[in-house]
Amino acid sequence: MKRLRLAIAGLTACSGCQLSLLNCEAELPQLIEVVDFHYFPMACSPAVLEGEYDAALVEGCLSMPHENVLLLSLRKRSRLLIAIGTCAAWGGVAALRNGESRKELLQATHGSGRISSSGYSPQPLHAFVKVDAVISGCPPEKEELLRLLAGLLRGALPNPISYPVCTDCRMRENLCLLTEQSRLCLGALTLGGCGARCPSMGVGCEGCRGPVPEANLNEALDICQQKGYDRQTVIDRLRRFCPEWKS
Amino acid sequence: MSKPGKIDILTRVEGHGRVELVRKGRRIVDARLNLHESPRLFETLLIGRRFDEVAEIACRICSICSTVHKVAALRALEQALNVRISQQTDLLRQLAVQGGQIESHALHIFCLALPDYLGVGGFPALASVAPLELQQGLKIKALGNLIQETVGGRAIHPFNLLPGGLGSVPGVEQLQHLADQLSSILDNVSAMIGFVSTLDEGLPALPLLSACAVSGGPPLFGDRLATSTGVTVPATSAAVWLNERNEDHTHAKVSRFDGESVFMVGPLARLNLSKPTEYGKRLDATSITDSLKARTIELHQAVERAMSLISQLLNEGLRKETPTTITPSAGEGTALIEAPRGVLLHNYRFDELGICRAANIITPTAINQAAIEMSLKSLISVINDDGYESIKLSCERLIRCFDPCISCAVH
Repeated sequence: MKRLRLAIAGLTACSGCQLSLLNCEAELPQLIEVVDFHYFPMACSPAVLEGEYDAALVEGCLSMPHENVLLLSLRKRSRLLIAIGTCAAWGGVAALRNGESRKELLQATHGSGRISSSGYSPQPLHAFVKVDAVISGCPPEKEELLRLLAGLLRGALPNPISYPVCTDCRMRENLCLLTEQSRLCLGALTLGGCGARCPSMGVGCEGCRGPVPEANLNEALDICQQKGYDRQTVIDRLRRFCPEWKS
Repeated sequence: MSKPGKIDILTRVEGHGRVELVRKGRRIVDARLNLHESPRLFETLLIGRRFDEVAEIACRICSICSTVHKVAALRALEQALNVRISQQTDLLRQLAVQGGQIESHALHIFCLALPDYLGVGGFPALASVAPLELQQGLKIKALGNLIQETVGGRAIHPFNLLPGGLGSVPGVEQLQHLADQLSSILDNVSAMIGFVSTLDEGLPALPLLSACAVSGGPPLFGDRLATSTGVTVPATSAAVWLNERNEDHTHAKVSRFDGESVFMVGPLARLNLSKPTEYGKRLDATSITDSLKARTIELHQAVERAMSLISQLLNEGLRKETPTTITPSAGEGTALIEAPRGVLLHNYRFDELGICRAANIITPTAINQAAIEMSLKSLISVINDDGYESIKLSCERLIRCFDPCISCAVH
């Protein structure tokens, strides 16, 4: 099998998506055999972009001009560019107050001080480049990353997920936190594939994987309202990971 | 195809920073650390959010340190809202934090730092030059993650740690499994202390700086700062004492302490202050470059501490509990805790509806910037006859001794 030549980069983010890959401790020795981690500054030196890549895996959103330069360079050099994690896919937590003035947010945090204000409101990768596939999640599941690499090694991309967290919950035969226990859970509106990790431990879905396609927002907001959660509260929670949610 | 492009960033560290060498004529006279990571402005993102959202958002500051950020945020907000937690919750949180310590130290030692000592570029090459160490290191790292996952529900951004308690309390078998795994790797960790002590640092010895660490509680926890210079600072005045300011060359605030003093935080600072006797023989730290040894020793301590926490939990019997019900009220809280890289502070103020009105987060790598700067000066004064590239590599290597976590520093 031809070794997979990868570029793995982090932009504005917490490095959690890259760490999820390094958290595949049992599989790493095998991955080393078949994957060339050519550009992976978080874990390998030196950081040099050279030649072409089979794929670029990019974590994080963009909020600084130098990140645009890096992203364009990765896009140009890579056959496939894959958004890893909710920040890369949707903007994520850093985009929580997009729509407000970046300058004012900076001043609220750093005073009118000297920190560079050349940044802009955090944006997902697809605002700037063509994205060939998305692995969502904050963080993504390790298995999704392994499945992605296994697919790439065979020249394939993973099938996009199109079902909500509720489907994962049904598969695990969980009681519904929202309808049966009146607890706030965003699973009906959120992309599945996490195995309903949080609801399975009695914790409501916080929407960390971003919107599921064809989410029925109004219906979900009505159910939440019947359970005592007003529409604005639910929208605010959804926007924690994806600024595109609107009431 | 495009020409090769060297990207000027620190490698084998978390986040984005670089070293800038300062020339005077043909000589390098100084080196500066520039953390050019994009600020996500967490303190401002949190304002206007309800108390039960604060820890969930704040833990996203950093993946490697997400468990300890979550616990710090929970402790601060519980203090502000007068929430009491059970002893069981407290012990389980301590266990999760020790899991984070194990994972973070193992990641640094076996994946990020070891390549420096063995003359290779990264973990993939370790598979050829130190396969056994890599394999055992990954096993230790995996166990740190398993602990965080068992208690927190997930190794990164643990959702099961909630205000007032836990979503689900782990079962006896799960904890017993962790205890068995921990006891089976203890010898490996000891062997690693031996292995690491044989490695050549490849840098000149550089003086240790005054140490600062959290004290007054169980390991890694406490309610005040203590320094090797004899200063004690209660949590409520720690932010003032840490004295953060904005500076031109970095996006992370820098702690400028009273007068001329500079403090280091992290493993060397903790060991320097606690001076654990059983390890005295194994670490007579005299140089900043002893940091890898210090981390290995702390790895051993964390494994032992995790075992003792589990045995206490099992002896006292696990109870099925639900989180304390919280009635919002106005108040302010400050938590101090030791993150893998050193002192971490979370401070929040809430209004009577439980809405966050002010937040202040001070992270170890931000505090360590002044210490890194001072150590870089010492290094440059010793090696300024070397060539530019060689000086730059040595500086990067020295910075890695502090295991910087730059998304924490800038947040």
